[in-house]
Amino acid sequence: MPKDQIVVGLEIGTSKVCAISAELKRDGTIQILGVGEAPSRGVRKGEIVDIETCGKCIREALADAEEKSDVMIKNVYLGITGAHIVSYNNRCSFTLPEDREKIDSGDFARVQEAARTSPIPSQNMFVHTILQHYYVDGQDGVLNPVGMHGRKLEADFHIVHGVANRIRNSIQCMIDLDIEIEDIVFTPYAAAQAVLDANQKTAGAIMVDIGGGTTGYIVYAGGAVKQSGVLGIGGDHITNDLSLGLRIPMGKAERLKIDEGSCAVGGTIPGEAVVMKDEHGFAGREIEREMLNTIIHMRVRETFELLKRELDKGRYAEYAGAGMVLTGGSSALRGIQEVAEEIFQMPVQVCRAQNVTGVTSAFENPQYSTAIGLVKYAQATLEDDSGGWFDWFKKWFR
Amino acid sequence: MIPLKRSTTPAAPVIKVLGLGGAGGSALDRLMLDGVEGVALVAANTDVQALNGCVAPHKIQLGRTVTRGLGAGGDPEIGYQAAEEAADEIKSVVEGADMIFLCTGLGGGTGSGAAPLIAHMARAAGAVVVAFVTMPFGFEGKRRRTQAAESLAQIEAQANLVVCFENDRLGETAPHNAGVQDAFVAADQILSSSIQAIASLVRRGGIIPTGLDELAAALRRSHPRCLFGHGESDGVNRAHEALARALKSPLMGKGKMLADCHSVMIHIAGGPDVTVQEITSLMDEFNKHIGDDTRIDFGLATDAKLGRRLCVTILSSTGAPETVAESVGVRRTPPREVPASTQPPKRTTAAPAPVAEEAAELLPDDVDEEELLPAAKPEPAPVAAVKTAPPAQTYRKPAAEKAAAAKKEEKAEQMTLEPANRGRFEKSEPTIVDGQDLDVPTFLRKNLKVK
Repeated sequence: MPKDQIVVGLEIGTSKVCAISAELKRDGTIQILGVGEAPSRGVRKGEIVDIETCGKCIREALADAEEKSDVMIKNVYLGITGAHIVSYNNRCSFTLPEDREKIDSGDFARVQEAARTSPIPSQNMFVHTILQHYYVDGQDGVLNPVGMHGRKLEADFHIVHGVANRIRNSIQCMIDLDIEIEDIVFTPYAAAQAVLDANQKTAGAIMVDIGGGTTGYIVYAGGAVKQSGVLGIGGDHITNDLSLGLRIPMGKAERLKIDEGSCAVGGTIPGEAVVMKDEHGFAGREIEREMLNTIIHMRVRETFELLKRELDKGRYAEYAGAGMVLTGGSSALRGIQEVAEEIFQMPVQVCRAQNVTGVTSAFENPQYSTAIGLVKYAQATLEDDSGGWFDWFKKWFR
Repeated sequence: MIPLKRSTTPAAPVIKVLGLGGAGGSALDRLMLDGVEGVALVAANTDVQALNGCVAPHKIQLGRTVTRGLGAGGDPEIGYQAAEEAADEIKSVVEGADMIFLCTGLGGGTGSGAAPLIAHMARAAGAVVVAFVTMPFGFEGKRRRTQAAESLAQIEAQANLVVCFENDRLGETAPHNAGVQDAFVAADQILSSSIQAIASLVRRGGIIPTGLDELAAALRRSHPRCLFGHGESDGVNRAHEALARALKSPLMGKGKMLADCHSVMIHIAGGPDVTVQEITSLMDEFNKHIGDDTRIDFGLATDAKLGRRLCVTILSSTGAPETVAESVGVRRTPPREVPASTQPPKRTTAAPAPVAEEAAELLPDDVDEEELLPAAKPEPAPVAAVKTAPPAQTYRKPAAEKAAAAKKEEKAEQMTLEPANRGRFEKSEPTIVDGQDLDVPTFLRKNLKVK
């Protein structure tokens, strides 16, 4: 990179909109300048359902970030999610012309282009084509094929795609605010950049980002993305379950979940009660702790069981030598690690963003992993400068 | 006037529990303490002192001249001779019984020696013989172990069914500081509760009856190591609690052992108010503990005596499946699950026998009553009385009609369940996996009641 550069990662989450501005230093470090935040409205399960309301929240979050970091925000890296986003692995190839036998750097772009012709449903659009491995004339394990002799260059790609119109909703929000989008990034992919280091990716790791409305996951094996996806269940569902089960308003249910909730069952004294404070601070209703925890436990367990089923389809999870990493706002739930360990039968740790400097409160909390991940993603793409396709997409969209 | 024949059912099967030797005697005591119903208890021992201490109403002294009222001294040969001497007494007990539950601890003299002979006599008298035996603890020594193994092989040749418990498994699960006394008491408890559970599930028959053939299928293994769990509950979440208790049984390994089983028998019994919802959620939960290919033999019975209680009994065994199919002399149609859509419709008329009515409604249309277990004749009077009463309606409805009825009910059920359960996600696009709307709270779908 020629000089220090300021980038902004924007995540439109179900519970909050979060904008993080950061400085990419020439020495490769990242300095967080400011974190702007606003409670989110008009978003359900990671997808925008009310563009106008959501636009206001985004504006608020961006203004907050501008104020805190003292920068004008013009462009952002936008995180997108939603259960409509799916992925699969595909192999693409490029055969060299007759008169040439050596692979050059231009051939990378040609294979990448071939990946963009992978079959996806007509209403869907590509979000990512993430490179996994190269093969030269069928030879496996080629790290850098430039300069190698061969007739055919092949590459495995992890292809992430989603329903175009739903992705356009997020983009439309930004257009309305007159903010330019540098790139759109699938949020679990972004979060993985923040919480997993190169060693974990090589050893094989599963990252699970449990947010407000969705639970995203991504599986790395041998340094490459092997599987990713989103479940439309998140922390909101726990709150909703509590609200319906204990007959309390959503706001109180949310507070109760954060202050007292745990997904460990059996550890409570029989009959132990949690006293909910009313608006004036006086003791209000009593709720049995065992019941509170059971409701949370059942939802968390079910979510993990669904996730395990998804992971079992891919069979890459067996090779996750570095185990599982949980992140996202709901990973702060007490006892979640134990439940995950029981279900996935592997070591599980709750993780936050790593290898960044700056405002500590920003990256000490797992709920900012995705937004920081967006900044990390920006750093990576600016370094190899290969993310040209999105410009093409923007032209097509306008 | 032609008198209306109220009941066409055969009498309940005569079940006798024969406790043999010291361990058998303690198991009978435990059964008496627990208040078992509808079975006759008979104690048989060589040791007069132990026999006198036993609370069983009917007692047989073995080997009046061989041991002269003392124990068999750990020698199976003496045990065998003692039983031979009391052959007439034993025959008088086993004659007229439909089922003989022979329970004993193997490894000693009386149990190991007499059990094969008694099993043989009971078979000869025409009874179905189910042997409940315990294998000695490891600390009791190799000799007892060998004696037990030899005797077990002989019993297996005679009895219709052998339910074998390893005392060591009980020891493994007992806390480290538990005394030896406690370990033996735990063994007695398991023996007695399994006898009780099996007796009641054979006797109760029920809506989806289970019989000896299913028991045999669940336990037919070359190295029988029995998994047994029994749980009861009458709380608000009784389905959950009963299953959790059954799985917590020391012989279940917290339900983890079930994963290796090829065939599992589960029997659910409850009062008349057991709902299809409860059974569905219980079975959903249970299915998580077993493999995909595991065969489930499912039994279901309602019994007004149980009141609000719900009992779950799980039986299985680990080890390689035996290739030779053991003949129990019983043939029945495979059990059928209650289809989820057969939720009992709302009753409009006051019914004199609610148990029976519900039973009739829940009854799968095509269970052949003639095919029910002949030896056990498992029919509690009220259930069966109505089961046979309306033959024209319940027997073999045309398939199309049935399907239409099921569909109709399913639709109605969905319509009543749909609103008000989704809260915040009321208006959002539902997340549906396997036909379940995941926006509806998990605890509602799993039928957990919130206090």
